[in-house]
Amino acid sequence: MSTQKRILIMNRGEIAARIAKACRELGHTAVGVWTDNEVQAKHLEVCDEWVHLKGSNNQETYLNIPKILELCREYKIDGVHPGYGFLSENTEFSQTLVKNGITWIGPHPEAVRVMGDKAVSKEFAQKNGIPVVPGSTGAIPTIEEAIKIANQIKYPILLKAVAGGGGRGMRVCQNDQDIRNNFEAVQRESAAAFKNGDLLVEKYIVNPHHIEVQILADKKGNVFHFFERECSIQRRHQKIVEEAPSPFIGEDENLRQRVCQSAVQLAKAINYDSAGTVELIMGEDKEFYFLEMNTRIQVEHPITEEITGIDLIVCMIQSAFGDDLGIPSQEWIKRTGHAIECRICAEDPITMLPAPGFVTGCETNFPQGIRFDNCLYKGLNVTPDFDPMVGKLVAKGIVRDVAIRKMRAALDGLLIEGLKTNIPLHKVIMNEETFIKGKYSTAYITTIKPQEKVNLSMDYTSIYKKIAGVEARRMGL
Amino acid sequence: MRTYLIDSDKNEYIVDLTKTRAHSAEMVEFEFRTIKDNQELNKETVFIRKLADQYFASTDGVKWNKLARQDSPSILLNVDRVFKLYRGYKPSTLGGDNVGGLFTQMPGKVVKIMAQVGEKVAKGQTLLILEAMKMENEIKSGLDGVVKAIHVKSGDALENGILMMEVEEA
Repeated sequence: MSTQKRILIMNRGEIAARIAKACRELGHTAVGVWTDNEVQAKHLEVCDEWVHLKGSNNQETYLNIPKILELCREYKIDGVHPGYGFLSENTEFSQTLVKNGITWIGPHPEAVRVMGDKAVSKEFAQKNGIPVVPGSTGAIPTIEEAIKIANQIKYPILLKAVAGGGGRGMRVCQNDQDIRNNFEAVQRESAAAFKNGDLLVEKYIVNPHHIEVQILADKKGNVFHFFERECSIQRRHQKIVEEAPSPFIGEDENLRQRVCQSAVQLAKAINYDSAGTVELIMGEDKEFYFLEMNTRIQVEHPITEEITGIDLIVCMIQSAFGDDLGIPSQEWIKRTGHAIECRICAEDPITMLPAPGFVTGCETNFPQGIRFDNCLYKGLNVTPDFDPMVGKLVAKGIVRDVAIRKMRAALDGLLIEGLKTNIPLHKVIMNEETFIKGKYSTAYITTIKPQEKVNLSMDYTSIYKKIAGVEARRMGL
Repeated sequence: MRTYLIDSDKNEYIVDLTKTRAHSAEMVEFEFRTIKDNQELNKETVFIRKLADQYFASTDGVKWNKLARQDSPSILLNVDRVFKLYRGYKPSTLGGDNVGGLFTQMPGKVVKIMAQVGEKVAKGQTLLILEAMKMENEIKSGLDGVVKAIHVKSGDALENGILMMEVEEA
């Protein structure tokens, strides 16, 4: 057992709470932050110390490197866990911390730099044995240049931010006119989200599967994989349902080994030393290409934890401080059962557009075997300043059918009142034939259109029950 | 007690609580009916029971579902429709006709205005780009017409329900 450290959690919501729990388990001090417009930051309830980060927009708070460094000095912070999003893949931030003698709970800055740049990372992957999707070799400065490359590699193409991630700063273009219409918007989006407006062009693979491999490494050169996840159900290039293992890879252990081993090979090549994810795109022919490597913990990490029993956040912290992970070998890591995650978002279930608002009520009534990582509470104000995701519902079953069955029951038992959520959409997906058969690709939302199967008729009984509940309360029941 | 449910498209449903019967200190029976355009659409009885400091609801007194505890909600949700709830009264000022008016559907920031006052625009043409939830949303004209007024400028941070632009039918 190493000495007690003071860990600053530079994030909010469910992931901040998740990290705080890991810190406390390890005996470290979890230092949480709150900003001017998040006075009721629920993640603080599991933090040991609460620090006020003055300011009301992200530039002044979660993205403000000098101010965060100041906080680290003032509160004698030993290590910083960035979570996901915000500065989690910002080399300027990690290098600044390291220079100031503060441990960065993430990979070494060089790995973040190489993998954080889509063009550089593709070149690196190709050199290290993973094929890449054809496209531009670097940032495209002009619309004309983008059109030229698009015509060389043939439409459809994807226009995306060099520094992108999380589905922001990406558009599919079918022709020259699409590029002309979208180029500036994508540039602006990426400049706003990542402080970098550089774009690249690559071939868009039709009906692909999004497969990713969870990597965990320590500072002694040990690199392990924790099998794959399939995250093909996406809207606007953002995942909404993920599962592990991948139903597309299925029983093909040979393919699974090839996929996982190439991820390990890549991580080894960059001397990776933390938790990370190698994202791959797999065509209908089961050929796979390197997409990107996320040098941080990911939203969907719980499903891997559920099937392997590992605590990825705990291991990430141990690795950062040079501690032993307690994993003897790759063969020692086993997976059992099947896990599914539904991202619960404050959004319209049909249009899937964000729908901010106040949570006026929230209760759960789950079956056995459900994990719900969330930041929900009665009174929560979901603002447009942050991502609309408010929780992650994770169901684990001994086989996939059982996991789906549990998820259906869990969705029925998740009651969120006051704002629109995508729960009705998840209910449709969990009962939809293509999903049940496990035969879906990233085209699922656009071709199967589960959003159109959401029952929109007035549910009088449910309305009466809600009004009756309020009346009963008024009566003093 | 009469409750008015009004959604963003100004559909109005009236839910009347027609009968209340307390069965015990833990259980109450309520009878409701829904009226829309002077027609009764539905009538049902529900039971509410308190159990372990939680409220449960039932239609038959046999099968029970947990309810999310709400204090005095002003919003009620039915799948993708958000109803404003008015208990015992109907608000008199529910806006006017807004055909051709572009209102914000969610809070956001104006990134770029792509039309000018007096400009002829086509249905579906992008008039404004609004950034909300870190996404750029194209706000399109709902009709063929002429831009009558622009009430916002680039960089403005807007609340929900703000009139951004008006388009007059040509």
